[in-house]
Amino acid sequence: MSRVVDRAGTWIGWALFADLLSAFTLTFGYMFSKPVTMQYPDKEKWLPYSRYRGHHFLKRDEEGEIKCVACELCARICPCDCIEVVPYEDEKGNRHPAKFEIDTARCLFCGLCEDACPADAIALGQQYEFSSFSSRDLVIGRDDLLGKPGKAMTGGGVVAARLNTEQDVLVETSEPHGYNWWRNIRRT
Amino acid sequence: MELLFALGLIAIKIALLIAMLLLLPLPLTWLERKIAGHMQQRMGPMRVGWHGLLQPVADGIKLLTKEDHIPAEADRFLFKLAPILALAPPFVVFVAIPFGETVSVLNAEITLYVSNLNVALLFVFAVIGLEVYGVIFGGWAANSKYAVLGSLRTCAQMISYEIPMGFAVIGVVMLAQSMSLVDIVRAQSDLWNIVYQPIGFFVFFVAGLAEAQRIPFDLAEAEGDLGAGFHTEYSGIRFALFMVSEYVIVLLVSVLSVILFFGGWNGILIPLPPLLWFALKVAFFIYVFMWFRFTLPRYRYDQLMAIGWKVLLPLSMANIIITGIAFT
Repeated sequence: MSRVVDRAGTWIGWALFADLLSAFTLTFGYMFSKPVTMQYPDKEKWLPYSRYRGHHFLKRDEEGEIKCVACELCARICPCDCIEVVPYEDEKGNRHPAKFEIDTARCLFCGLCEDACPADAIALGQQYEFSSFSSRDLVIGRDDLLGKPGKAMTGGGVVAARLNTEQDVLVETSEPHGYNWWRNIRRT
Repeated sequence: MELLFALGLIAIKIALLIAMLLLLPLPLTWLERKIAGHMQQRMGPMRVGWHGLLQPVADGIKLLTKEDHIPAEADRFLFKLAPILALAPPFVVFVAIPFGETVSVLNAEITLYVSNLNVALLFVFAVIGLEVYGVIFGGWAANSKYAVLGSLRTCAQMISYEIPMGFAVIGVVMLAQSMSLVDIVRAQSDLWNIVYQPIGFFVFFVAGLAEAQRIPFDLAEAEGDLGAGFHTEYSGIRFALFMVSEYVIVLLVSVLSVILFFGGWNGILIPLPPLLWFALKVAFFIYVFMWFRFTLPRYRYDQLMAIGWKVLLPLSMANIIITGIAFT
């Protein structure tokens, strides 16, 4: 009996386009819901988490000396062979890199150099905006690497931002604390 | 002098009409992309102009400056002819479409239509049927399997859907006792035809969707299985002409739905200017077209044929019989 009722109900629903109507109400509802788009370069910017693997940076120790001991382990482990290290010895007899170049055009940001480093000197930081018109500009030297931003302290979330076209492709952010990007995602 | 004045008036009207029809696809593409975006929780175009309002202009410039490529194996004459054949009939049809009764400009009563044909409805259906030639020639001339398949589908689709569409409006003609679109609208000044002709409207609108080759009946394009259907090989301005033709047909079906079933420029409840009422109703139907497009999936080819011949045709015939029994 119930099966007959079900079948009759299905047929009535089919004849009155109940399935189409529910589809139209759904799309109409979505039409007026908040978009989930992050307007990245123009209005908003996502802050990376602390474990994000962005642009490399070199660390200094407490005395301001570069931590790197030029052991070249990072260059050895690098799967795409993009690190080039030339060591020198200073007057105290410590090894340091005279030349430390990373070809970020070839780097795949695996983070193996960070794992391999015995002196905790190199790590992958939070910067991800370093596109360029020339692949030659993507070879980053020792002094530039020392100046790159380190690991993110806070992460996740979206902050207000604005694209500054005069200054490369860097996106300027304003407030430190953003909103949770997931708030616009409908989870039913 | 009088004749010259009348001729000048017609020339101005035609110029305005052509300008409107050529420019209207610009806001419509923007609207379509915006609606598509928001229905998918995206934003649509945002970066060119305020909320992407200038995006259609950018697209137009892009299409104009692109290479106008003709495939080596194509039939060059037909390939060049097809976009024009697809574009001309929808423009010609608008000669017979009224947008309102009269407005007085500088103490002169000016009618809001180019001509009040007494067989306007017949003219509309006869001319719009020619649009399919552009699509068929385009697919055939490109000498590509996807384009030909798209054209073949269009051919069958047009034949199957012109018939129920033509039958669906017979009920309207019976009620108005006239084929003139102005008379049909005048006959609806008390009560709109949608009240008497719900089945007729349903059949007309579904067939109109198929006529405009929009989802769920866009078998001719079917980007999922045919690349881009009949205009796979077209690029640049010729592709743009096909797109303009598609949007003009969307506009045409919306306008016809309003004129035939929703009282044309007759308003209800709120006393707005008739032209504004007309524009609002047409805008609503254009929105419905886009709403359908981003809600429904595409029908399979055999389903399309089955709907046309087994559902719409009997329904439209039943509509004629019911109208005949009830209102004469």
